[in-house]
Amino acid sequence: MNCSCRLLWSVLALLVLLTPAVRGEEAPNKKRLTFEHDIRPILKVHCTHCHGEAGEKEGGLDLRLRWLMVQGGDSGPAIEPGDPEASYLIERIEAGEMPPGDAPRMPKEQVALLRRWIAQGAPTAGPEPKEVGPGPIITEAERQFWAFRPPRRPKPPRVKAAHRVRTPIDAFVLARLEQAGLTFAPDADRRTLIRRLYFDLLGLPPRPEEVKRFVEDPSPQAYRRLVDRLLASPQYGERWARHWLDVAGYADSEGYTNEDPVRPWAWKYRDYVIRSLNQDKPLDQFIVEQLAGDELVQPPYKDLSSREAELLAATGFLRMAPDGTARAPDPPLARNAVISETIKIVSSALLGLTVGCAECHDHKYDPIPQEDYYRLRAIFEPAYDPKHWRTPPQRLISLYTQADREKAQQIEQQAKQLDRKRLQRQKELIQQTLERELAKLPEELREPLRTAYNTPAAKRTKEQKELLKKYPKVGRLTPGSLYLYDRKAADELKKLAEQAKKIRDTKPKEEFVRALTEVPGQVPQTVVFYRGDYRQPRQAVRPGPLRVLLPGDAPNPVPVDDPKLPTTGRRLAYARWLTSGRHPLVARVLVNRVWMHYFGRGIVATPEDFGHLGARPSHPELLDFLADELVRSGWSLKRLHRLIVTSTVYRQQSRISPQAQRIDPDNRLLSHMPLRRLDAEALRDGVLAVSGKLNLEMFGEPVPVMADRVGQFVLGIENLNAGRPGPRIPLHGREYRRSVYVQARRSRPLAVLKAFDYPAMEPNCPRRASSTVSTQALMLMNNEFLINHAHFFAQRVEREAGAEPQDQVKRAWLLAYGREPDAQETAWAVEFLRRQAEVLRGRKAQVRTSDSKVHTITDPKQMALASLCQVLLGSNEFLYVD
Amino acid sequence: MHSNTTRAAGVPGRRAGHPGCCTRRHFLASGVWNLASLGLVWLLQEEGLLPAAPSRPELKTKSYDLRPKPPEFRPRARAMISLWMQGGPSHLDLFDPKPALAKYKEYPGEVKYDDPAHASRRLLPSPWKFRRCGESGMELSELLPHLGQVADEITLIRSMVTGVNNHGQSIRALQTGAVVPGRPTLGSWLTYGLGSMSQSLPAFVALIDPGQLPVLGVENWSNGWLPSLYQGTVIQPREPRIPNLHPPAHLKGKPQQQALELLGRLNQRHMEQHPGHLDLPARVASYELAARMQLAAHEALDISKESKATLKLYGIDDPATRDFGTRCLIARRLIERGVRFVQVYTQNQFWDHHRGIRKSLPAACRKVDRPSAALVLDLKARGLLDTTVVHWGGEMGRLPVIQYDEGPDRVGRDHNTYGFSMWLAGGGFRGGCVYGATDEFGHKAVENKVTHHDYHATLLHLFGLDHQHLSFERNARKETLTDGKPCRVVKEILA
Repeated sequence: MNCSCRLLWSVLALLVLLTPAVRGEEAPNKKRLTFEHDIRPILKVHCTHCHGEAGEKEGGLDLRLRWLMVQGGDSGPAIEPGDPEASYLIERIEAGEMPPGDAPRMPKEQVALLRRWIAQGAPTAGPEPKEVGPGPIITEAERQFWAFRPPRRPKPPRVKAAHRVRTPIDAFVLARLEQAGLTFAPDADRRTLIRRLYFDLLGLPPRPEEVKRFVEDPSPQAYRRLVDRLLASPQYGERWARHWLDVAGYADSEGYTNEDPVRPWAWKYRDYVIRSLNQDKPLDQFIVEQLAGDELVQPPYKDLSSREAELLAATGFLRMAPDGTARAPDPPLARNAVISETIKIVSSALLGLTVGCAECHDHKYDPIPQEDYYRLRAIFEPAYDPKHWRTPPQRLISLYTQADREKAQQIEQQAKQLDRKRLQRQKELIQQTLERELAKLPEELREPLRTAYNTPAAKRTKEQKELLKKYPKVGRLTPGSLYLYDRKAADELKKLAEQAKKIRDTKPKEEFVRALTEVPGQVPQTVVFYRGDYRQPRQAVRPGPLRVLLPGDAPNPVPVDDPKLPTTGRRLAYARWLTSGRHPLVARVLVNRVWMHYFGRGIVATPEDFGHLGARPSHPELLDFLADELVRSGWSLKRLHRLIVTSTVYRQQSRISPQAQRIDPDNRLLSHMPLRRLDAEALRDGVLAVSGKLNLEMFGEPVPVMADRVGQFVLGIENLNAGRPGPRIPLHGREYRRSVYVQARRSRPLAVLKAFDYPAMEPNCPRRASSTVSTQALMLMNNEFLINHAHFFAQRVEREAGAEPQDQVKRAWLLAYGREPDAQETAWAVEFLRRQAEVLRGRKAQVRTSDSKVHTITDPKQMALASLCQVLLGSNEFLYVD
Repeated sequence: MHSNTTRAAGVPGRRAGHPGCCTRRHFLASGVWNLASLGLVWLLQEEGLLPAAPSRPELKTKSYDLRPKPPEFRPRARAMISLWMQGGPSHLDLFDPKPALAKYKEYPGEVKYDDPAHASRRLLPSPWKFRRCGESGMELSELLPHLGQVADEITLIRSMVTGVNNHGQSIRALQTGAVVPGRPTLGSWLTYGLGSMSQSLPAFVALIDPGQLPVLGVENWSNGWLPSLYQGTVIQPREPRIPNLHPPAHLKGKPQQQALELLGRLNQRHMEQHPGHLDLPARVASYELAARMQLAAHEALDISKESKATLKLYGIDDPATRDFGTRCLIARRLIERGVRFVQVYTQNQFWDHHRGIRKSLPAACRKVDRPSAALVLDLKARGLLDTTVVHWGGEMGRLPVIQYDEGPDRVGRDHNTYGFSMWLAGGGFRGGCVYGATDEFGHKAVENKVTHHDYHATLLHLFGLDHQHLSFERNARKETLTDGKPCRVVKEILA
């Protein structure tokens, strides 16, 4: 069903050119080619889909092994080792007959390679298995790919500049630098370091007082203490939760359908992530809870303790994929999409593999047979059972206790009484209106109409129906249309309804968690879908991990149905296997992502793809060291942070030496700290912090996003009347909360975040872009959020520094940049304030404040100061972390 | 939310790929408000703002842009201006004369009322006279004297049907092809299919009224599930004319210029202290480019250099027509500069004359008749009418019977989506053509019905696009403007 995958082939075919085997760099003409390394990857892309995979053998031909090629199919042998001219395979390809139809042609370079291989006698790297089943073949060579071998802890290398080594990380990085004739840049100064640390660990700028304290701290332990303090800050969890939420594909809406309905309880998962990170919950536990928290709770998930509620909330991770199954026009298709998107999230988050490519066919580059995809899918199907599907509302789990439930029932009884009263009154009012309308009609019509009206619709005669149609004022009188006849009556009923609602509102608030659970005893059989099409089921498969990650002789760690648990135990066993510390990918993928957040690029530059098409690690030994270190430290993320931020690598200046510029212009070797643009949240939160408006309230329901008058998405409570925006409803300071608490509705990304590369979750975002485009400049110049906050910033400066322009400039610099302006800057800024006040005289600025009122500012000095503040917020020194 | 695009043979395909989110190109193409990203992408590449191309093709995303794309077959139209008459102008009093309304007392059949409480069966003969106009002799109401002068340029459809009797749903039908919310609007489809010819202006512009937004508000220019690049960009009647492009009123001109000068100095200094970091000069350049884009938009919206005769033609000298005339004139200026689709909106329920129609309908006509006709004349004079479709119409018409039967000053007409009128001009529509007919009383279309799907298929056809081919794949479904519904290109109204 995954058409995108099929369409991709043309692109994929081109890509083969870029795989090492074909790139030529390792294969000069004389190089001995082997089937495994050079030929199979080509055939996988172009041929084996119909000749060998999943039992397909067009023309009786199977091209998965060399001996199968020699054996050939209905038309005889496919190759004649030593003689490309006599090889039928070459003939058909060169005649343009294969691959057939619209499939992309095999590039010339690849055909040439095939010819050369055959001319060399069609060698293999090793002996081939004598017997093959219909399933895929994972060769030893494939298992030897770096990412599939378990990490081994390497010893930190010796370096020349040993005095620069603060942590083992430094040794690994420095050794590579020295090999290239480079070394570390000098340590950055404390002002730079504190701003860097604040944004990296908290996503917020340091306050001037904090900068001062750190800069003036004489203790050699000052840096370490600062790191400890930041790691203990509650804002740390918010910052790093956001990174994980990208990977999890966090969204406050279901996506998929046009309506993109809100997910009312997704935020419980967001809060779970923040709390877990703040507690430094070991990552192995963090992963187990997210994949299988429900399997650690005894069903039937009622009267939950807070720990149980937490475990269930954790499985929100598996409920983040778009889920349109409540309203989708094609439910089976929509269900299938939920499962496949969930697998994409899990695999890109934890495995760093594009497993999704194997949904329709064997993975063309990585040794992931289609069947393995379904083995993985089988792990999740007891919870995502396509045959016994549960829609998002049906999957919610109430946090009500028994006492809550009883109280609510009592209150419901009272409300029902009022409902009855209202219905009674409604009847009376309808009858009154009916009589009024009848009175306007000729006498002889009244009785027949009255009778017709009061006869239940199903029992009306044909004549009665026609009569009512002829007199629509009577015929179409309903509780719904009553307001058109008698506004007062309708209002009276509305009031009664409101009273009932008021009573209902006194029920204890019922909260829910969005969890993934199984129905005990319900164990579906997972099957392979032919070409990924759920309407074409094929052979059944057992649950299990990808086989390439499982050593040849290791038992499958995932049970079909664990007798010790009420649930199947599949996810629990899988999660425990992933976090056993011996999995080749999980720890590497996790540490790589952490590294990426500090240095702008992962050690593997494609954190979502450690496979053949992904990047190779720039520092493979460092990656393994960090992965091993993470496991050894008891999976403590905070310890990993400490290890990284106390390193010399991290503490370098951003200054680029001329040698570095020449030898390593992309800074892959990290001869200096990269300059990084603030990401969307850090930018918005940074503006809030500097303007003094930041509201640090934690957790809870998201701050809503709505479309403003021109369709731009801004914070606000939607207040529409037939689509037209009504007055703004105050948010009472919630609009100043951190961006992690802003509602993440897929169809309504907050404008100011979106402009700075806030991701769309489709279904998740393992790596963000950092773009530089004019729309950002325009936002910084003209967007209402920036203009308003520049005014708040100016008010703060005036409050804290008084009316003297020199003092104001100094304060503004300290707040925005964490440093004082020099003489030149002061002179420019003071002169700017004077000239700006001149041209602003007589103008009026409109500022929207937290009570959502608009205030008019006429003082030109105030406006000029706000303009200065806006310049600072839009300047590179603010937008980049040095 | 968007997935892949497939287009049939004959329409140039786009790069297909897995849906993804995180690559640079994608973000270039999905700015929040969508000022001609074509210009952006192109200029950025020209200026070397972008890093070198990635070392391998991106598997995980496809790119969307506003580059001009060739249509599937030879087009008649290149641009469109839609004058969106929200509320439902009374076809019975403007476009579709029905002498029978004066002949009989009551409507003989079943009437589809929206408001039963104030319904009646009594017919309301039009209080206004109709006259034959132009060489074609098209019958139009005396309330539209200016339109009468361009009768030979327009196609008048008297048999429009959407069949959903309330504003919101009928608006969706005409603007997006279906009554359900969340779908892309016509302007989004056109810019998705054809891109834009302008490098410095938005491809799809929404010119809103200074009053309240029309029913459905911002949904009227929504991109639905098409990439947000194809959302309409609002030009407001007040500063900032284009939010985020233009500064608020108090910073306009000199203050913003001085601020940018200071910013330039600070950035320059910062750059000198951080040599070799390529992002920094790129960002400085992005500010310069932003300023140029402001200038281009400013120039397009500035009507002060238009001749006196032109201003008069559009009624800009008259308080009654000034606002609507100005927006019609701006629409022309935008089209001249390469904008693909402009929609000009009346304010909320401007034509929804449930009661007091005798007063309110003439007032509404007074505001829009002259500018609408002026637009057709002006486009023709400039040689643009051949390639520019002008559309005039709303989501419904009115009923032949009286609503609020409470005396001549109070009478009005209820909704009618079963038969109503709208007109089109230019871009390949036949001039002086009347098409289709309603029943004797003007309630229901009976002859040559034109549904919203037919209308959309016909429009796309004039733009060189097949309504079944221009598609967007989403949730494994090929979505089209006409939503897979049976419909046809109404060839009879084409020149």
